Amino acid sequence: MNQIVSVGTSHHVAPIEFREKLAFSEEQLIEFLQQLRESDQVQEAVILSTCNRVEVYALANSVRNADAAAKMLVECLSRYHQVSVESLKRGCYLHKNLETIQHLFRVISSLDSMVVGESQILGQVKTAYDLSRSAGGVGTVLNRLFTKAFSVGKRIRSETTITSGAVSISYAAVELAKKIFNTLEGKTVAIIGAGEMSELTAKHLVANGVSNVLVTNRTYERAVKVAERFNGTPLAYDSDLGFLVDADIVISSTNAPDYLIKRQPLVDIMRKRKRRYMFLIDIAVPRDIDPDVSKIDHAFLYNIDDLEAVVASNLKDRQQEAVRAEQIVSEEAKRFYNQLQTFQVNPTIKALHQQFREIADTELQACFYKATLSDQQETAVASMAQAIIKKLLHHPMQNLRCAVNDGDVDHAQYVQALQELFALDVSDDNSEL
Amino acid sequence: MNFLFLLTVLIYLAASIFQALFLTTGARTGASTLRPKISFIALWNTIVGFVLLTCFLGLWWLQQGHFPMTQWTHSIAFFAWAITLIYLVIVRLTDLRALGSFVVPVAFIAILVSYSFLTDVSTLPEPLQNYWLLAHTALIFLAYAAFIAAFGFGLMYLIEERKIRKKTDSLFDNLLPSLGISDELGYRCTILGVILLTMGVIVGSLWTQYIRDVPWRWLDAKVISTFATWFIYVVQIGFRRFWGWHGHRAAYAAIVGFAAVLCTYVGVDLFLDSMHTYR
Repeated sequence: MNQIVSVGTSHHVAPIEFREKLAFSEEQLIEFLQQLRESDQVQEAVILSTCNRVEVYALANSVRNADAAAKMLVECLSRYHQVSVESLKRGCYLHKNLETIQHLFRVISSLDSMVVGESQILGQVKTAYDLSRSAGGVGTVLNRLFTKAFSVGKRIRSETTITSGAVSISYAAVELAKKIFNTLEGKTVAIIGAGEMSELTAKHLVANGVSNVLVTNRTYERAVKVAERFNGTPLAYDSDLGFLVDADIVISSTNAPDYLIKRQPLVDIMRKRKRRYMFLIDIAVPRDIDPDVSKIDHAFLYNIDDLEAVVASNLKDRQQEAVRAEQIVSEEAKRFYNQLQTFQVNPTIKALHQQFREIADTELQACFYKATLSDQQETAVASMAQAIIKKLLHHPMQNLRCAVNDGDVDHAQYVQALQELFALDVSDDNSEL
Repeated sequence: MNFLFLLTVLIYLAASIFQALFLTTGARTGASTLRPKISFIALWNTIVGFVLLTCFLGLWWLQQGHFPMTQWTHSIAFFAWAITLIYLVIVRLTDLRALGSFVVPVAFIAILVSYSFLTDVSTLPEPLQNYWLLAHTALIFLAYAAFIAAFGFGLMYLIEERKIRKKTDSLFDNLLPSLGISDELGYRCTILGVILLTMGVIVGSLWTQYIRDVPWRWLDAKVISTFATWFIYVVQIGFRRFWGWHGHRAAYAAIVGFAAVLCTYVGVDLFLDSMHTYR
């Protein structure tokens, strides 16, 4: 009976110092897969190595219990990375069968990620899977498992809203801008005080269609440098801020101790721009923009706290949605586990049937040879043999299937016992999978 | 027949309820699976209601042998029809279903009133029953419907602006269109309404040239009120073009305009004596 096990570590359980010791580069990954396969105990394996997690998923070969398989995996890891087994046991989690499936589904749905709902992990798992497959690590069981996992990941992203709502300040600014303007195409963003944050926000805005970038800074050289990055226009710093007439979105993040943008000058500017909407983002502390500005028609002001509140509320919403996502994960994991077991039991059942049939056939031939029977009699005897096989196998088969379905009894033991008692030759051919 | 009309009213009621539900599924949890279904039901209820209503208008037309505008109960049913038509056209063009939450209930109230007072008495003098009637009334009612759509966009604008200013949690429901879109589409609806209304008034004034048997006077309450409505919208467009009065000013103007439309359509009929009154 095959066992799916996984050993891994993530930002939840171990610090970066530990995770980096276990990380795999692409070449190492292929090498380690090779070693695992040569060890003859692992039939299939997929390795996932990202900055937040290192995980090995493996299908152990004919190992009677999952613990032994897991132990073997830990030993392999310990040997490969020169990390003691004890520290591995401390810094890693171990999952077996249903737990493994559930864990993979959670990972791929980003429920285990640092930011719930992030979308990168799906691609990372896909890459890891493709890599392991091209290295020959993937067979029918893991193929089935990962294919299912991708579909669960997609299902959760479409049926819940864990991916919606901006969870970073810069994205929140973009989403807000989209709530104000009918389109961001052709809009102009003005950056006052070129800092990291304002640059990042501008980057997202440009990616969403904003076409003109104006940059002004106390030191002109810096403005030129930042403007170059966006194909924008650097402007010499000018305290009357005349360029705001052209700006639809203003991002301010200077170190100025006082307000740079005050109400009355902005009223005039708004009049000059025919009261077209202006979205002002003040990410400076102390603030650059007079809060009274938000009383001007068609000027919308958000400061760093407002944006952070938006992010916090979105994160809270994601957490709520995560509860629903967890339910979907555990349903899907259980269903998949049952399917997998049924499929794994099938070869044994088939072999048993075949063995009985072969015995019956041989005996029938012998019987027909010894006694001369009419056609009618031969048919009757043959069908009696069939009926006996059917009745004999009825209870064992029924109980085996029950064991698979309710999961109380360890059906792996049943399967093992059947194989040994009847000397069944179940070659691990999972071709039906 | 009466039963079928009641059914139409009920379908409109259901459409209104689902449109309202659509707006109130704002809480994000679970909304992503529920909302498309609600939106689907609301839209199809509206479409089925619209088709049934079209059938009824056609039926009345056949029964009476002229455009069914000679009873005010019929006219208000046509009003509901025009609102639904404009809404469905906008949904077809822009997929902004949230608008329905504001205009479908208006259509429902109109058709409910129509149902409640439905009679068989024609009150329009025989000489007026011709194609002039069709052109004149249809144009004006379509103009009203466009103004109601503009009103819907105005309301959506004001709600959304309030949400952005108050920085409330439910900011990212993605239900209402952005300020820019509400503003722009509201403006387009207003322009459409003014064009239709102008055409309707011109047709009406030409029509007076052909009336022989009915005495006509220009200082009619309906006529004056219509001009007042027309004036409100034209001034609004002018201010917008020349002084940048868009955004919430335009939204408030759309609401004032809507009030004027109601006064012209309902108020004059109820409280003032007019050539246009159904009696």
